[in-house]
Amino acid sequence: MKLQTPIMRKSVWTSILLVLFAALIIEVSSLFQYFYAIKGLKSEASLRAEGELENTRIQISDVLDQAEAALRNNLWIARWCLDHPDSLEAVTRRIIEDNPVVVGSTVALVPGYYKRNPLLAPYSYRNLDTGEILTKSLATPEYDYPSHEWFSKALTREPGCWSEPYVDEGGGEMLMTTFSMPVKDDSGKTAAILTVDVSLDWLTSMFGDVKVYPSAFSVMASSSGRIMVCPVQSFVMKKTIQDIIDSLEDKAAFDTLSRDMLSGKSGSRLVRYKGKKEYVYFAPVERTGWSMSIVIPEDEIYSDIRKLGWRVRLLQLLGLFMLFFIIRFVARNQLKYNNLTEKKNLMENELKIASDIQMSMIPSSQSPFSDRHDFDMAAALFPAREVGGDLYDYFIRAGKLFFCIGDVSGKGVPASLVMAVTRSLFRTVSSHEDSPGRIVQIMNNSMSEMNKNSLFVTFFCGILDLATGQLRYCNAGHNTPVFLSATKHLLDVVPNLPLGVVYDMSFQEQEIMMYDDDAIFLYTDGLTEAENKDHDLFGEKRMMSVLSTRRTAEDLIETMKKNVNVFVGQAPQSDDLTMLFIHYLNGDLPRSNVPHIVLRNEVSQVSRLAGFVEGVAQECGMDPSTEMGINLALEEIVTNVIMYAYPKGTEGFAEIKVRTRDNAVDFEVSDSGKPFDPTAMPEVDISLGAEERKIGGLGIHLARKIMDAISYERKNDKNILTLTKKLNNHGN
Amino acid sequence: MEIKINKTEEGKVVEFIGRLDTPAALEANETLAPLFEGATGTTILDCEKMTYISSSGLRIFLTLRKSALQKGGKVIVRSINDDIRSVFLMTGFLNLFEIQ
Repeated sequence: MKLQTPIMRKSVWTSILLVLFAALIIEVSSLFQYFYAIKGLKSEASLRAEGELENTRIQISDVLDQAEAALRNNLWIARWCLDHPDSLEAVTRRIIEDNPVVVGSTVALVPGYYKRNPLLAPYSYRNLDTGEILTKSLATPEYDYPSHEWFSKALTREPGCWSEPYVDEGGGEMLMTTFSMPVKDDSGKTAAILTVDVSLDWLTSMFGDVKVYPSAFSVMASSSGRIMVCPVQSFVMKKTIQDIIDSLEDKAAFDTLSRDMLSGKSGSRLVRYKGKKEYVYFAPVERTGWSMSIVIPEDEIYSDIRKLGWRVRLLQLLGLFMLFFIIRFVARNQLKYNNLTEKKNLMENELKIASDIQMSMIPSSQSPFSDRHDFDMAAALFPAREVGGDLYDYFIRAGKLFFCIGDVSGKGVPASLVMAVTRSLFRTVSSHEDSPGRIVQIMNNSMSEMNKNSLFVTFFCGILDLATGQLRYCNAGHNTPVFLSATKHLLDVVPNLPLGVVYDMSFQEQEIMMYDDDAIFLYTDGLTEAENKDHDLFGEKRMMSVLSTRRTAEDLIETMKKNVNVFVGQAPQSDDLTMLFIHYLNGDLPRSNVPHIVLRNEVSQVSRLAGFVEGVAQECGMDPSTEMGINLALEEIVTNVIMYAYPKGTEGFAEIKVRTRDNAVDFEVSDSGKPFDPTAMPEVDISLGAEERKIGGLGIHLARKIMDAISYERKNDKNILTLTKKLNNHGN
Repeated sequence: MEIKINKTEEGKVVEFIGRLDTPAALEANETLAPLFEGATGTTILDCEKMTYISSSGLRIFLTLRKSALQKGGKVIVRSINDDIRSVFLMTGFLNLFEIQ
């Protein structure tokens, strides 16, 4: 767990950085998108507003055109009727009847045009509820029509003029505007003013209801700035634009706006009203000088994108959140992987340490007993991995060389642990046991008790009595060691079961005599089963051929390993490889004084005599003929011992010790075979011809002839034959 | 020990090179077994390069001699050195063989 916290922290930081980077990219692209969307929405808003303004203008113009047309069409009738004042009322009635847009009409005579009738203004109007056309006279003192704008203004305006909108309280009782034109008589004098009234109530409902956006509203003002259409009904015709602007804080902005509006311009303005930005689109109604405007709060233009913006942002946030977790997950795995590599390194380090520990458990491989002359030994262990399951051990206790070699089934760490146990057991048990069979048996019991993983150990344990050359050994299923004497052969072993297989099993112990120059080579199957890349095995044959060269123990082990390396080549080492070589030299007998040789009861041993005798001859200064004679005599005696002293199939030996005297050399040949006195053998008749000669008996005859004296004694169950040769070249 | 067998006009020539000690004699015994069977003609034992002989070696010579006697063959020992001659002398072999 300790290791996980930094990983988590590290992964969180990595994830945050990556997410922030992704967020930045998304934000920048969103801003671009937003900017262009805003632009689009703004132009759409202005299109919509300007469209509405234009639509309204067209409708107004249409109505005004119709009204103007109605007036002009009846102008000539009005002129014609000037001479018949009573018919003027009928003219106005006709105008209304013929033109639905006209709600009222009058012919107001210029005061004093008729002498007897100074004021005359018959007025017809439509009752909007019933559609009935009513008539009344405007020539009342209360109304005083000459004072009204529609009358006074028109007097001077030939082409006619539209009045300011007004609420005609005495007339139509509605918001209206009036188009007036002078009616001239035949002399060209203005006789009367003809008017048509147009109701503006429809304008309020039409333009006032224009809703390009839910909170947008429309305002229309007359040329003098009087409010005609406005969402606040109480302002209509009561207030001017100036009045409203005066009530605002940000007057300056509105001043230019109102100036532009009232001077008949069209355009748009962004104004701030009560802290909110609003767009004002405005356009004039040319003929009347009115100004229409549509006000749209900026919020509303952009509300969609802003709403969308929030949604998109929410989605982005969600996405980034997910991204964060994904990245963290990935980063964590990556870091874990990195951590695994770290762990692997750590493990490798530990394995290296384990390997060192394991190597320190086994004795040093090189010249462990270089100070000893009675044997030469070397050992080596090459694990296939850092740690292995092979082992060897040796030590000297009470003049005996204890040694062992073993191979734990399997490889690597599990095998190495069992190896450590095996080695400890060997040390413990052999510290007080002198029998290899017992040692192996005790070790087997210990190991089968605790062996839950079915790992077994092939094991060979040997105890060499360095004084006598007696080698006792016990083999527990291990590769048969090679015994090197004059010939080399596999040691005779009983194939016991390996250690750790069956509890309370007895192991058969064996024995062999080692003589001077004999050697034993122990190995694990990593040697014979070393594989090259074609899966060929190193094999016993190659091993034996290396063993047939006589070398020092250390050199032999090295040479063997080199041979294996050359054979294996680039292929990886398949198994642990261990070798142990013990070369027995029997040197604890005083060397210089008593030349000495022990021959086993094998005929091949006889060949060793030549070298031995040569050494003695050199020491004594013998001539070659004498040397050859002695060699021959000894060979004959020893051959007899080898061939006949011991029962067939049993181990035995013949030992020769040399004692030099002033003028003679004594050769003492001893054996522990059946009692036999060669001196008691009858002489061979050498005068017989070939037919009569017996085959055999010549050996002892030769010895007698060559040697100057031969004596026999039986002592300590040994045949001891002493052959004496006088040296006649004494002093040379 | 090395043993070479050559057939020449004189007969079969067996050349012994090196030491004919007991182990060598045991080996030679097998190598020369066919000679014992067919010892009808002349067999020449060339000992020029033989440096040593033990009783086991002498036995081979004697066995050959005996089978030659039985089968009407002839065995000649050639070129023995002084040391071997003394062995022949000690064992009475000098009288048993025709020595050249």
